[in-house]
Amino acid sequence: MTRRRVLELPLLVAVLGAVLPLSGSSYLLGIGFSLCCWIALVQSWTVLSAMAGYVSLGHVVFYGLGAYVVALSWGALPLPVILILAGAVAGVFALLVGLPVLRVRGPYFVILTFGIAELVKYVVILIESRLGEFSRLMFGAPDLPWLYGIALGLAVAATLGAVLIRGSRLGRGLLALRENEEAAETVGVPTTRLKLIAFVLSAIIPGVVGGLVALRTAYFEPMQAFDPTVSFTIVTMAVVGGSDDARGPLLGAVFFTLLSELLWARLPQFYMVVLGVLLIFFVLFIPRGIAGIMRSRLRRSPS
Amino acid sequence: MGVLLSGQLLFAALSTGALYALIGLGLNLVYGTMRLLNVAHGDLVMIGAYIAFWGFTLLGLSPVFGIGFAALAGALLGWATYVCLFRRMLATPALLRRLEGNSLLIFFGISVILQNLAALAFTASPRGYLYLDEVYHLGNIAMTGNRLLALGVALVICLALYLLLRLHVFGLAIKALIERREAALIVGVNIDRVQLVSLCLGFAIAAVAGVLVSTTEQISPFMGFPFTISAFVVIILGGLGNISAGLAAGFLLGALQIYGVALTSASFQSVLVYGVFVAVLLLRPQGLLGRGRVLR
Repeated sequence: MTRRRVLELPLLVAVLGAVLPLSGSSYLLGIGFSLCCWIALVQSWTVLSAMAGYVSLGHVVFYGLGAYVVALSWGALPLPVILILAGAVAGVFALLVGLPVLRVRGPYFVILTFGIAELVKYVVILIESRLGEFSRLMFGAPDLPWLYGIALGLAVAATLGAVLIRGSRLGRGLLALRENEEAAETVGVPTTRLKLIAFVLSAIIPGVVGGLVALRTAYFEPMQAFDPTVSFTIVTMAVVGGSDDARGPLLGAVFFTLLSELLWARLPQFYMVVLGVLLIFFVLFIPRGIAGIMRSRLRRSPS
Repeated sequence: MGVLLSGQLLFAALSTGALYALIGLGLNLVYGTMRLLNVAHGDLVMIGAYIAFWGFTLLGLSPVFGIGFAALAGALLGWATYVCLFRRMLATPALLRRLEGNSLLIFFGISVILQNLAALAFTASPRGYLYLDEVYHLGNIAMTGNRLLALGVALVICLALYLLLRLHVFGLAIKALIERREAALIVGVNIDRVQLVSLCLGFAIAAVAGVLVSTTEQISPFMGFPFTISAFVVIILGGLGNISAGLAAGFLLGALQIYGVALTSASFQSVLVYGVFVAVLLLRPQGLLGRGRVLR
């Protein structure tokens, strides 16, 4: 892959993202913030789940842990340290549970990740109720433009990361083990190590994003921070957008962020129904997602 | 320690266990015959519960009749799902290769749809009704009528299905499909029909379990997921597709939960159930199918 191609997408995100604040509308900035967060989440998710084929239905666990770290340390430490800590805790958690969890394959991995996210949620609820806390407020959180800037940075970083990893030795190793883990192992791909690295990499940015979202709402409550809907939305965005290259998650995130803007506030349940229907439709009929359709269109046109 | 020996806990463990056995049985039928990972199983429990609830509160219909309606509704939903979504998938080799993963995503979509449709139609607030709540005493064990009913119905259905699978020719066909798909095809089992019936049966059983749940607990559109998780714990504990071991595993999980909570506190219940779930998947990640099938 040429250098120009590598930088194309991250640059696009960065430029579009940098233009948005010029509108001066805080409403648009709010949408931009959640869009950047979703892009960062879905791109991170693809590192493990699209490249290695280990579909995680529990990515909210990293997001929630990041939010919890921020809620616990807010006020005690400066902002950059807190956010780095949020990412680090998510990464370390992935490292710790990674080895046993990644031995489990296919659909069992999927339900296992979901189970772990729920388990951590209830453990956090238990801890919080033992501490006598039911929700935590964070006073003096940074303003939206600041948070937006950080979220944009994360979206660009996650997109760049996804593009770079895909072209790297790591990425090729992951693709190999996705196709056939035994065969990959036989020809010398260190499958266990690669899976673990991918798992940790896919956890760090979601940790930071969780922390950011907690700051945006200035509020932490375990049921909300570990809401399985987040995991579900990540998977749906990736499936509908397509996750064979880094464009898919961008398309999926844009599509669903706009859709949710239209529907969520007035009809949250209807929005979820639409999400479910689209997920089923794309899995059955368009498994390569919107990006896949675009790719085959481009290939057919004589350019 | 004296508490642990009480008949009261034993009864609670039995009635919870029978319910888990029933719910696991439904999931096992669907997974065993088609390798579909039905993560919407608990939402069928929810639907059954709402059918019983509305039947009782609007029409004054006893939940005993609710069982029939719920079974019918479950079977219809199963039929629709099979005809619309899975018949084509199960017959296309290309889709069959990634069947488990795809079916999981599809059922996840179905689960989200059912939950949110229920929330739209019935609001998200929990509901409940009182039915057979008088207390019976047997020795020093106090039992409410609804729990006795739930225990009885669950046991009867489990037994009936067990006998069907053992004795009736259609049950044998289901068993054949679970154990050796290709061989079943060769000896002339009508695979399409057995799959359809298994899915309807699995859905109907879940809905009936929902009726039983609704007589003893509050119900809400999002009540289903814990049941899905319990059902998965049960069928993984018992070995996927292994019907009789699954029934035993249901009682085991019931005992684990009741005695676990008795030893700790009620706030540990969710941690306990999910903990067992994660532990089972981690400790026995492969070889769960008994026949060493590659899990991919």
